[in-house]
Amino acid sequence: MSSGVSNSSGTRGASGGDIGGREACVIGSGMIDFGELFEQSTDDMAERAYLNAIEDVDSGISPQEIDAAWFGTLDIAGDASSGAGLAHATGLFEIPVTRVENACATGSTAFRSAVEAIEAGSAEVALVLGVEKMRDSAAGLIESAALDQVWRGRGVTMPAFFGMRATRHMHEFDTTEEQVAKVSVKNHANGAKYPHAHYRFECSVEDVVESPTVTYPLNLYDCCPVTDGAAALLVASEELASEYTDDPIHVAGSGLSTDSLLRSEDESLVGFPATTQAASQAYEQASIGPEHVDVAEVHDCFTITELVTYEDLGFCAKGEGGALIDEGVVELDGEKPVNPSGGLLAKGHPIGASGVAQLAEIYEQLRGEAGSVQVDDPEIGLQHNIGIGRNATGSVSCVNVLERR
Amino acid sequence: MYEPPFWRDREANERLAATECDACGYVSFPERREVCKRCGERGEFRDTRLEERGIVQSYVIQNRLPDAFETPLPVAVMDVPQVGANDGGSDGDDAGSDAGEPARVYGLFTETDPEAMAIGMEAAAVFRELFDVEGLPVGSFKFTVPRGENR
Repeated sequence: MSSGVSNSSGTRGASGGDIGGREACVIGSGMIDFGELFEQSTDDMAERAYLNAIEDVDSGISPQEIDAAWFGTLDIAGDASSGAGLAHATGLFEIPVTRVENACATGSTAFRSAVEAIEAGSAEVALVLGVEKMRDSAAGLIESAALDQVWRGRGVTMPAFFGMRATRHMHEFDTTEEQVAKVSVKNHANGAKYPHAHYRFECSVEDVVESPTVTYPLNLYDCCPVTDGAAALLVASEELASEYTDDPIHVAGSGLSTDSLLRSEDESLVGFPATTQAASQAYEQASIGPEHVDVAEVHDCFTITELVTYEDLGFCAKGEGGALIDEGVVELDGEKPVNPSGGLLAKGHPIGASGVAQLAEIYEQLRGEAGSVQVDDPEIGLQHNIGIGRNATGSVSCVNVLERR
Repeated sequence: MYEPPFWRDREANERLAATECDACGYVSFPERREVCKRCGERGEFRDTRLEERGIVQSYVIQNRLPDAFETPLPVAVMDVPQVGANDGGSDGDDAGSDAGEPARVYGLFTETDPEAMAIGMEAAAVFRELFDVEGLPVGSFKFTVPRGENR
């Protein structure tokens, strides 16, 4: 996470970056096709993503060369996960494995932790593996409606938490239901072309606004599906990276922050200060601004989430997310394509895997290997998650910036 | 009702007891803390109480919820003024040295037509049983707009 530019201002909360000047690079990525995968267990999915990552390394890698691993999962399926869960799925015993759970930022936080270890010199080659088995339980996340809470988020489900921003954003900035719906239309158009996506169909603005209302103002097609999936990345120190590939992708910056709707800041009614805080840390480490981002995979658990994230990341001013999508800037062939993979809306949102998958997609984009969703010659890619914590009273965001040099 | 969390929080849940940070004016509710959630200072907190009303800052209408809830259910982010405040208005920074800030909370609505919901609207806080713990009721406040009234 370092750059040639001095980074001594010490942004509060920012860490990693520039430790001994070591840098980390991504040297391989592995995805599985996301979907309703009843035939695969958590371990099956994790193993396949891991093997795909190993096979993706240009010059090959042997498992013995991996000296640490980070395992991102919420363990929604109740598989009693721990670091040992990763070891059982991959055969990587006898090395340090850390399980990370950080709401929807689980996968990206796991990645960030691996990067920090490499920068600190405590690991040379690390595996980051994210997995989530969402569909084995019929109850799903609706049962997380904080039934036994009094003030702490009782009755506030995921679509309610994000829908609050939609109602207020429409009220404050005259954002329309159609502008919000366009996020879904765009991401489904991209997802229809992306081989690993759960849902590969296109839809129209009409389809979105006429789909059944889940939580006003959000309809069914404003919401991401419930999806099983896994993804993996291999990260190495810059010195070693060249032994594995001629095209390593540098980790230029990373940020992680938390905030709360209940800190009485009005910005958190129309967006997520945690995203702005994490992005500012990541931009500073990477010595870039939002205008330098060529392609982004951002957290679109709901349409409104992506729309406010344009603003929170600085892709446009607060209140102008609707105009940004109207102008086509974030389309696959726009100036700043967002979610070429179809995002969580089309690709799916297996929580522990989501952030890792987004990073795998940015890795492919920066190497020019994204196939039918490849954008035009990107050099800097950004990955973003925003998660709900603490029964819908807190939020956590992780932002990572990758760079082809 | 007296399972520990509900016993600990009774003053807040049943009487809307809150605390106000001397350093920045943030109103902490329902938690009582030594450090301020907004400014991060370890400051003095003054005891205060909230009024039985609030202003809707944003809202959703929940159509899909576990059986414990009636749907469609309006759920809102509410600003609840302190007792004695001049104005619990929606813009926070009110003039008047004694006004103080409102507390920002989630509010479940009850007996309210979803069509009546609007940002900026005032709603009354009414004491209700929220749920029970092994038959013992846990009570606190929900919000309601009187029927036919759309403010």
